[in-house]
Amino acid sequence: MKAIVDCNSFYCSCERLFRPDLENKPVIVLSNNDGCIISRSDEAKKLGVQMAGPYFKAKPMIEKYGVTTFSSNYHLYGDLSWRVMETLRMLVDKENVEVYSVDEAFVNMEHIPAETLHFTTKEIKETIEMWTGIKVSIGVAPTKVLSKVANRLSKKNKIETECVMVLDSEEKINDALQRTSVEAIWGVGYQYAIKLRQLRINTALDLKRMSTSWAHRHLGGVVGVRLIKELNGEPAIEMEDELINKKMIATTRMFGEPVKNIKDIKEAVATYTSRAAEKLRRQNSAAKTISVFIVPKEESHTKHFHHGPSVGTYIHLPVATSITNELIKPAVQLVDRLFEEGNIYKKAGVMLSNIVPDTSIQGNLFLPEIKNNQRLLMNMIDNVNFSMRDDVLKFAASGTTRDWKMRQELRSERYTTRWNELFEIK
Amino acid sequence: MDNETFYRSAYDGSKKFHQHDIQTANATGFGAAADDYMERGIDLNEQLVINKPATYFFRMNSNAMETANIFTGDILIVDRSIKAANGKIIVASVNGDLLVRRFCQNFNKAMLCADNKKFKDIQLDEFTQFQSWGVVTCCIHLIDPSLLAFNNKD
Repeated sequence: MKAIVDCNSFYCSCERLFRPDLENKPVIVLSNNDGCIISRSDEAKKLGVQMAGPYFKAKPMIEKYGVTTFSSNYHLYGDLSWRVMETLRMLVDKENVEVYSVDEAFVNMEHIPAETLHFTTKEIKETIEMWTGIKVSIGVAPTKVLSKVANRLSKKNKIETECVMVLDSEEKINDALQRTSVEAIWGVGYQYAIKLRQLRINTALDLKRMSTSWAHRHLGGVVGVRLIKELNGEPAIEMEDELINKKMIATTRMFGEPVKNIKDIKEAVATYTSRAAEKLRRQNSAAKTISVFIVPKEESHTKHFHHGPSVGTYIHLPVATSITNELIKPAVQLVDRLFEEGNIYKKAGVMLSNIVPDTSIQGNLFLPEIKNNQRLLMNMIDNVNFSMRDDVLKFAASGTTRDWKMRQELRSERYTTRWNELFEIK
Repeated sequence: MDNETFYRSAYDGSKKFHQHDIQTANATGFGAAADDYMERGIDLNEQLVINKPATYFFRMNSNAMETANIFTGDILIVDRSIKAANGKIIVASVNGDLLVRRFCQNFNKAMLCADNKKFKDIQLDEFTQFQSWGVVTCCIHLIDPSLLAFNNKD
């Protein structure tokens, strides 16, 4: 059996942990830069606040009903996500946990005897809630796709299911599939959903009854076959290893205010580059290609290739590197090539690609001594920044004032990661 | 030298370390005799944080628990995995507020008591929304004011 553990309105739950007064009240969390709504509590959903809807559009309703609104506080969410996953790893052993996203994890339940499955699942749910303060829903079924179905239904009716649903018989599985429409199945995209509807395949149960050879022809080949197998209780999507090294690392942000000054853009790009380089070092890799793009606020006539409204360009480095200053220099030069006087920019991004294992890590005999020292320096910078927070050490190119920084007007305190933002209790 | 060792103390904060993490003296040939006796330095996390994913930190900002030697500015370590029981100092959610109080329970009633005569006890009856948030396991009180300044600066 496999389980999916999914946090309930995760970002909202994080905000409520230190605000018990918001229990049972409508809460929403906004995206970076307060652009749109990315998390809604059940109460906010009931009021009709739309997911991913722009904040300014929902504002009248938010004010009318007194919906408590937060800017995203990723330091807090990241820490609480770690706590949830760590609790899970402590309960079922880490090799049985596959972290799927910031608020979801698959759990291998093979070793748990069938007769105690429901009880154990409830124990897991209650322990996570008690230890971390984050409420979760758990769906358990023979396959990943079915566990997702179970999870969705448990969330739909929290009071009746107590946020736990175990599909351990053919009868229960079919009943659950009957109550699930095709577009709600994990892995069925919008286009396929339309196609299935046209073929009068309306529920997950209808889809389950289709043959694998039919799926091979009409549902995208192997992927469709896997889906049918999974719906029939035959595992076809296995547990995956965590920590697959990324082939591409990107850092892009919207500016808090539109920027028209090349100096500010360079600072932003330098900051994003050091952030990306940090990610690169964390997975012990080095990058050979660096691309930079900037997005003008309005349509502009630029001499560079158009990729939607953004302009971008890249450069191949002579040697793959993870050293921040070796990456900042070309990145800033790229800004020079892209920037056009008179334009106003709203966004910039840096992408590192052509990623290879970092040979300088082990102290490479074939590199000059200075290179090894630089890698050492990077480790020290990362370490200091990790323990002191907020980029205490950074390169001068990333500037010191940051006029372009994100807008986050409604952010709560970073209660769990900053000494000077601890919750002050009476 | 293994570069990874730079990370260790900041990341783990626990007893998780490996024999190879101990850095030997930089002598060629024979290591210093003291190497055989090297071990990891004392780490407060080992003693004060029992269950890391369930442990949260708070800063005290009242004198409600003065008699229990918890003063304004002190750091409280709170463990959510411990159940509230009679006599324990807990973080409680009371009518939407978070408070530090002593949980007092006898056969027919429960209340939250301040360890300071100036504060009233809070009766936990059907009119009070109450939930235990966690149990206070430790209070860190800084003695040297210069340390305090450093501590708040971050």
